[in-house]
Amino acid sequence: MINTIAYGLTIGAILYIISIGLSLTFGTMRIVNFAHGFVYTIGAYLLITSLPMVRDNFFLAAVIAVVAVIPIAYAIERFVIRKLYGVSIDYAIIATYAVVLIGVDSIKWIWGASPIPLSDPIGKYVNIFSVTLPMYRVLIIILALVIFGVLTVFFKKTIVGKIVTASLEDKDAVKSLGINVDKYFSIVFVIGSCLAALGGVLYAPITSVHPYMGMMVLLISFAVVLVGGLGNIKGTFVSAFVLGLIMAITGRYWGPAAETMVFVVMGIVLIFKPVEV
Amino acid sequence: MEKAGTDLTKRSIWRTLDIPIIIAGFLVILPILGINRTTDFAIFCIFVLAFNILYGFMGRLSFGHMLYLGTGAYAVTLFSEHVSGNPLLAILAALVAGALIGVILGPIIVRTTGACFALINLAFCQVGYFLVLVAFSRYTGGEDGMSAYFSKMPLLNFGNKGIVFGFVLFCLVLAYFFLKKFTASPYGVLIRSIKENETRVKFLGYNTFNYKWITFIISTTVSAFAGALSIINYGYVTPSFIDPSRAVEVIFAALIGGSGSLYGSIIGGVVYMAISNYLASYIPRWEMFLGFALLIVVFRFRTGVWGFMTGLFTRRRDALTR
Repeated sequence: MINTIAYGLTIGAILYIISIGLSLTFGTMRIVNFAHGFVYTIGAYLLITSLPMVRDNFFLAAVIAVVAVIPIAYAIERFVIRKLYGVSIDYAIIATYAVVLIGVDSIKWIWGASPIPLSDPIGKYVNIFSVTLPMYRVLIIILALVIFGVLTVFFKKTIVGKIVTASLEDKDAVKSLGINVDKYFSIVFVIGSCLAALGGVLYAPITSVHPYMGMMVLLISFAVVLVGGLGNIKGTFVSAFVLGLIMAITGRYWGPAAETMVFVVMGIVLIFKPVEV
Repeated sequence: MEKAGTDLTKRSIWRTLDIPIIIAGFLVILPILGINRTTDFAIFCIFVLAFNILYGFMGRLSFGHMLYLGTGAYAVTLFSEHVSGNPLLAILAALVAGALIGVILGPIIVRTTGACFALINLAFCQVGYFLVLVAFSRYTGGEDGMSAYFSKMPLLNFGNKGIVFGFVLFCLVLAYFFLKKFTASPYGVLIRSIKENETRVKFLGYNTFNYKWITFIISTTVSAFAGALSIINYGYVTPSFIDPSRAVEVIFAALIGGSGSLYGSIIGGVVYMAISNYLASYIPRWEMFLGFALLIVVFRFRTGVWGFMTGLFTRRRDALTR
């Protein structure tokens, strides 16, 4: 059982890292960003490409992958997302989905469509409560907690974070103070995309890397965002870990139902707490 | 001025003779594409019509409409297997199943708008996909799917492809006619007002929830109808009929044709099917092409092919009157 809980916490940690960017774009721009799933996938693929270059040093390769995502994220923001401000939300969904189609096809073009397996980069085990856990998973959970701490400080203490938090509440009021909200949104978008790529990098050794890996994760992160509340940073944190645990516990008893259970929970939450978008 | 007059009558001819024009259009593409593909196209057009009632007229984008198509497809197969092989009764059962799923899921789904509406549909579609693929695989055949056998009717022998095509075309015209009457009625005006501004409609004293719910039920029922017809055509059901990742097909078709127009839905359905059937064999990177086409549609041609064409006509008419 402890093993299952630990697995759930790992999934929750990765879900949190991925969802935070989604939650921020959703909360600030009211845009459902399907391209987020693509950024997650490309992060994993960039890791695969950069691993041989740095003599299989996972840490360096992960840093390279996350940094390399910045120009891609900026291009998506500049040429697609920025044109969608204030446009009907349906067009935003379709346009970002188009980005996914283009992106996934480019991945198939460059890297091929067959899944690429990756091995556990650390390969060591630790004993916690007399249960042996892979070191890698424990590190992921710790990393998610660190990111949560850093983001909390970022949104509470720095000026960029304060502007973003304020515009989550009331965008027009922030605009009327003479602040160029859109500029800060693009910063937030790039940060969120980098975190999504980091999620892809971290998840790659646990599963295999394939061009469509982003889609399912994206749907689950949407569930996380909706359950946690749009643009609610703490809510996203809690709901990511709760849904991660639900996935792990369901998966223990009935493997294929794990992902479906997340959507059942999301449906129940939405019945009692409809989200106004 | 006279020219403008003839142009106007031309447009009203398009409107009044729409059903013969649709039939003629399908009869024209029949020899070009072959009977199997044309039947397929016509069925897909019914699905696009059902989707467009929700999206184009009521302004609710569903990202999980495959669920309702799949409901019809599985209902017709299971009915023919367990109850009766009569194809018409099986289609009726599929319609009831489609309406039922709309009645059950409607109150949860229609309360939401925008992104939430899209995603909750997707979530339910995912659940349905799981149920068909894993949970009830004993009854649905799981990933392999199952065959449907229909008994022969005196006039409707569905083993004959020509009769299937005629029947499907009749069903398309029926669905078109029904939805045309529906959208032209005061009720249709009301759901279009809900798209524009729901709060104002509420202020006028209408209970918008009921109207949205009924529109949702109509959309699910017609989608199930399309699903049932595809099984009559293929004779085989697989989980791909309910696959959530195929949801984008119908959205794209509705967008190409132009949302909020029934004619547009049919044009969009045919154009999309042509792209996905033929482009894939000529262009190796067709998904990328589709992506760029979607971006162009979203940023340049928001009104779709039909809206663009009518816009062109109107502009020319204005230029002539001036």
